[in-house]
Amino acid sequence: MMNGDQIFETFRNMSRRHFLLQSAAGIGATAFASMLGGCANDRTGQLNKVSDAMAPRPPHFPAKAKRVIYLHMAGAPSQLELFDYKPELRRLNNQLCPTSLLDGKRFAFIRGTPKMLGPQAEFKQRGQSGAYVSDHLPHFATLADEVSFLKAVHTDQFNHAPAQLFVHTGGPRLGRPSMGSWITYGLGTENSNLPGFVVLTSGGKTPDAGKSVWGSGFLPSVYQGVQCRSEGDPVLFLSDPEGMNRDLKKKTIDAINAVNREHYQEMNDPETLTRMAQYEMAYRMQASVPEVMNINDEPEYIHQLYGTTPGKASFANNCLLARKLVEQGVRFVQLFDWGWDSHGTDEITAIDIGFRNKCREVDRPMTALLLDLKQRGLLDETLVVWGGEFGRTPMQENRQNKTNPYSGRDHHVEAFTMWMAGGGIKKGMSWGETDEIGYYPVSGKVSVHDVQATILNQMGLDHEKQTFQFQGRPFRLTDVSGKVIREIVA
Amino acid sequence: MRLFSKKIFLLLALTALFQGCKKEKIDFSSQVKPILNKRCISCHGGVKQNGGFSVLFREEALDTLESGKLAIIPADVDHSEMIRRINEKDPEARMPYKEEPLSKQEINILTRWIEEGAEWGEHWAYNPPQPVIVPKSNRLLSGFANSSEGGWAKNDLDFFILEKLVENDLEPSPEADRATLIRRVYLDVIGLPPTLEQADAFINDKSEGAYEKVVDQLLASPRYGEKWASWWLDLARYADTKGYEADRSRTIWQYRDYVIRSLNEDKPFDQFTVEQLAGDLLPNPSNEQLIATGFHRNTMNNEEGGTDDEEFRVAAVIDRVNTTWEVWQGTTIGCVQCHSHPYDPIRHEEYYEAMAFFNNTRDEDVSDEHPVLRLYEGEDQKKLKAITAWVARHAGEDRAIEVNRFLKTLEPKYHAHVFDQFQNGELSGYKWLNIRPGGSARMKGIDLENKNHLYINYSMNEPGGSFEIRKDHLEGEVIARVSLKKAKDFRIIDIPLKGSTGTHDLYFLFQNPKLEKDRGVCAIEWFSFQEDLPGNNSSQLATVKNSFMDLLKAEVEKTPVLIENTPIQKRETRIFERGNWLLQGDTVRPDVPLALNVASQQVTPDRLGFARWLMSKENPLAARTLVNRFWEQIFGYGLIETLEDFGSQGIPPTHPQLLDWLALRLMNEHQWSMKKILRDIVMSATYRQDSRVTEDALQKDQRNQWLSRGARVRLSSEQIRDQALAVSGLLSKKMYGKGVMPFQPEGIWNSVYNGESWKQGEGGDQYRRGVYTFIKRTSPYPSMIMFDGSSREVCVGRRIRTNTPLQALVTLNDPVFVEAARALAKRMVESDPVSFMEGIRHGYSLLTFRDIPDEKLGILLTLYHDAFGVYELDLAAAQAISNDKNGTAQLAAMTVVGNALLNLDEVVTKE
Repeated sequence: MMNGDQIFETFRNMSRRHFLLQSAAGIGATAFASMLGGCANDRTGQLNKVSDAMAPRPPHFPAKAKRVIYLHMAGAPSQLELFDYKPELRRLNNQLCPTSLLDGKRFAFIRGTPKMLGPQAEFKQRGQSGAYVSDHLPHFATLADEVSFLKAVHTDQFNHAPAQLFVHTGGPRLGRPSMGSWITYGLGTENSNLPGFVVLTSGGKTPDAGKSVWGSGFLPSVYQGVQCRSEGDPVLFLSDPEGMNRDLKKKTIDAINAVNREHYQEMNDPETLTRMAQYEMAYRMQASVPEVMNINDEPEYIHQLYGTTPGKASFANNCLLARKLVEQGVRFVQLFDWGWDSHGTDEITAIDIGFRNKCREVDRPMTALLLDLKQRGLLDETLVVWGGEFGRTPMQENRQNKTNPYSGRDHHVEAFTMWMAGGGIKKGMSWGETDEIGYYPVSGKVSVHDVQATILNQMGLDHEKQTFQFQGRPFRLTDVSGKVIREIVA
Repeated sequence: MRLFSKKIFLLLALTALFQGCKKEKIDFSSQVKPILNKRCISCHGGVKQNGGFSVLFREEALDTLESGKLAIIPADVDHSEMIRRINEKDPEARMPYKEEPLSKQEINILTRWIEEGAEWGEHWAYNPPQPVIVPKSNRLLSGFANSSEGGWAKNDLDFFILEKLVENDLEPSPEADRATLIRRVYLDVIGLPPTLEQADAFINDKSEGAYEKVVDQLLASPRYGEKWASWWLDLARYADTKGYEADRSRTIWQYRDYVIRSLNEDKPFDQFTVEQLAGDLLPNPSNEQLIATGFHRNTMNNEEGGTDDEEFRVAAVIDRVNTTWEVWQGTTIGCVQCHSHPYDPIRHEEYYEAMAFFNNTRDEDVSDEHPVLRLYEGEDQKKLKAITAWVARHAGEDRAIEVNRFLKTLEPKYHAHVFDQFQNGELSGYKWLNIRPGGSARMKGIDLENKNHLYINYSMNEPGGSFEIRKDHLEGEVIARVSLKKAKDFRIIDIPLKGSTGTHDLYFLFQNPKLEKDRGVCAIEWFSFQEDLPGNNSSQLATVKNSFMDLLKAEVEKTPVLIENTPIQKRETRIFERGNWLLQGDTVRPDVPLALNVASQQVTPDRLGFARWLMSKENPLAARTLVNRFWEQIFGYGLIETLEDFGSQGIPPTHPQLLDWLALRLMNEHQWSMKKILRDIVMSATYRQDSRVTEDALQKDQRNQWLSRGARVRLSSEQIRDQALAVSGLLSKKMYGKGVMPFQPEGIWNSVYNGESWKQGEGGDQYRRGVYTFIKRTSPYPSMIMFDGSSREVCVGRRIRTNTPLQALVTLNDPVFVEAARALAKRMVESDPVSFMEGIRHGYSLLTFRDIPDEKLGILLTLYHDAFGVYELDLAAAQAISNDKNGTAQLAAMTVVGNALLNLDEVVTKE
């Protein structure tokens, strides 16, 4: 466990070691920078221990996964049209919902007595495992044997922003660190020339809870997710001002650091040395980030596979970027795709129109991502997670006692489906079951905190030990609960 | 190895023997409590009480265990189960369970403590500060005589620092050179560097009081309030948006300006506190006192469709409780929401007693942020005065205050949440009363005494609707009948009521024969029952009544405030079982935790009583917490490093005596003047020290917690911005007003269900100080957040400083900083149009107030030459970097140098 003060110590110690090294060996700024990146340097044993905030650190126990790609469908996709097949619900279609399912429940929009809504998709069993995947996801269906389904995930937040915060920070209010922050805080990252925690968004909006779902909360801001964008600078302020070329930028940074070195001689403050190293790293990031964010040079078959169109913000492009980023050693890649809130108030949110289109948008790219990771031998060490912030009701949504104009479902906290693949997760597994209409879990119920505990576990972190002292008590991602879902761990 | 541990043991035994000889009693707080906290309390404390044993409170610790035994029997070590178990040889039975056994020394302390009667003690921080003697005569300090004798110390504070330096074998540093000192004190007191002229004036002023004069000028500067406001606004979690999903704008900048003004006029901290926590409860509060209560209206508001207003009202109240205790008491009370405090003597139910003070305000997470203060101006202000005077003349002062309050805040009123027993109706969006044709709903327990008017705020998108209001039951007497006009936007109307006495349930019945029964078309936001305006016998009453309605309907500036419930609206506060707001237990009354009310004061059970209790001199924590915050702002670390936790789990103070001395001085000599305590600090020799560090001092005290040198700390996000604008001459001096939007890259704001956009400020607004930058909680201003600024979601007592490559990208490439570099370059070129070397010298001194050393000048000259070489051959690039069609290679090259200067370590750091 580290608290704010200890982490500060780490920063200090790092600088201190630089200081010692510099006086001993008189090495230059470039050498500092490589040390800061945490690259092992065989010549001086001590260097292996050099750690900065983002240097790789060992896990609590041997990790199955080294990296995470988390695909979040913001707005919450319907499990009942994708994975949780309920023939009984089809039979009950259009019947009034029994009050036993409504009493004491809080819904976001449903008022009065709604009608049941049968599955608006055709289902088939797929592969050896026989998992149900609907026709909405024809490509993904071919990979049913690669993944573990969690079909009875439960949350306790029925509004988007709090539920998204709950999934990503373990608490429904703003102010806590996100999963990617916890993981980079625990493990650092493997490529010092790229941010350790990258966020990519598609669907035209940031998720409902805003940037707080990748914020660092009370952890130092160095651990917040860095949003890489498809338009403008991929990372804010990455490009040089107009009229400044790369060579002149290099000379500028060299001059800044040369003056700083002079100043360090006078002041003796190790923090100055850290700053010099950060300027070196900034310079390198200016080259490495655009390089990794550029998909123009990918071969045609890759574009075919993902369905990518360079220069456009899309989920497909983001899936391809996610692969490129983990390939370069980025620790945590978080994708958000907005537009899954299928209430049925208009065509876009109709479960049989807009929702189908969203499925088409993500089916090929997410399948391609798994295939591509696999063919590169990366899937074994990359944990891929897919899910929303809650599920959808088996009832057709009605507002003010009037059925919505299109087929639609309200927010549902009791049970929804997520899947995980790679990174030491069982293949062709399905854990958890819901009742005949997909309302309540009947077995294998897991909580959002359990999912978080499992993700940390695959990364070699014990979710109970990964803590940070804040406001007088140790905080952790899983708050005061969470249990690793052993059933899906290979 | 064996030999070694034997030696240690011997040493310990000798120590114990020695201590034994001294017969000094074991001290609970400093000796026993740390062992209990570290080794026992996680299984036997506020969270878990394994085996029925807890060491949190004495009576619990002495109570019978589940096994029937007693863990601690005062003065009876042999029968105390705890002592047997910590000495147990069998690892299965030994405590701490499955952990390293306690050391001999720890066992010895616990044993002797029980022998001596197992007395409980209080954590030091819960005892009021005691008068402290300044350690002037300490023999050890004889080497450092005080100032008047030409020594190091400048004021009393320095003797406390010296004492600890000597103890730690360190020496103080001499005073920093004048250039460094003037820059430091400017940045610390007003957050801006001096101008070259201001710096030179000080550097050349050899008079004895030169420094003091500068300090007093700075404390009197309006820039002081702007600087220190950022600090307080972090604690107040001030932002310009409401948070959560849509994160729409909130207009509460009046509160920010209140903070700046209060700091500038040096409002005593006790008054500052009472106004912010309970300004609305002061007699006939002024607008300023009401605006002050915005402190606790900075909590978030959830407007996401389908959210339960009560859930987020409760969330806001909990945030107010936690924030208040953290800000004023340095006490982490948040964990007591779910169970007794794990370490400190605060019980679960005491959390809800503390919450009860705050659980009686009118705000209920509604989207219009009610209650708001309506700020009337011009004619409206005159009307308000006239109406108030009218009512005072005809019905007396008290009634005038009521009418004035209603016009200013629309309170007291009811939100639609109060309705139940819906028939063919509901609360739409958990917020508005929506009854469909033929339907009804009930409003419970309304005081109708003398109430002849009901004001409502409604909207209705079809014509032909009407309401009936019936008394006591659905078929009861009709006390009002009103036809409503179609109203696309919400509007306020006055519904006359038949006179009644006493308290009644009211039934609202809605009719619209033209509509189907399932069409909900009418939404009512709030309801207020009011008396007739007085003055019946006067012909002018009609005019007064018209003015009254004019004001209610006037479009005016509004800012959220706290307003207390009326007695009839009062909420009960109940304990939430395990912190779950849906599982409510026993009812509690407002009170402060016993352990923190050392003087056992009677606390009036409302926010005003609570605020006064906080500021009473017997409260051990408020003054200590505040002086510690000032210390941290100036030196980079608090005397207690954990600013937010003075409890037994926080880091103990480095200079406990100094902390108490400062706390007492703040309350007594300075009568809570924040400027005076800050003045004490910056006038000290400790503050004025050189920040260069010797190898020896770095070894002994890497973090400078003993202060053998001046603080050297990276500037805050606001200071980095403000300095760049100031030295380049761009800075706008305009104060106050709504949040401003400096340059921000495209595409940063992308909230769902929110049509707002970032519109870059003009006419100098893009160059305002950082404190005025618009803060959107879910998308904070990028360059500020990268330099560890707060996104203001929750109270932040200290920003953890980081040092990252993304920060370098901000000051190198953010167009705001490039523009500053350009403007700085112009100043450099203009200072000496002939010699660029002189220009560089000038630029360096604008930032550091020192002459540039030759080595640094050489480096920057080379950069200038290299850049000039590039731009001479590429005039288009030169014009681009200088953003000037007539930009010369000279100006372009100087812009590159200016950019480098703004990025120097010595420039982004307070030295």
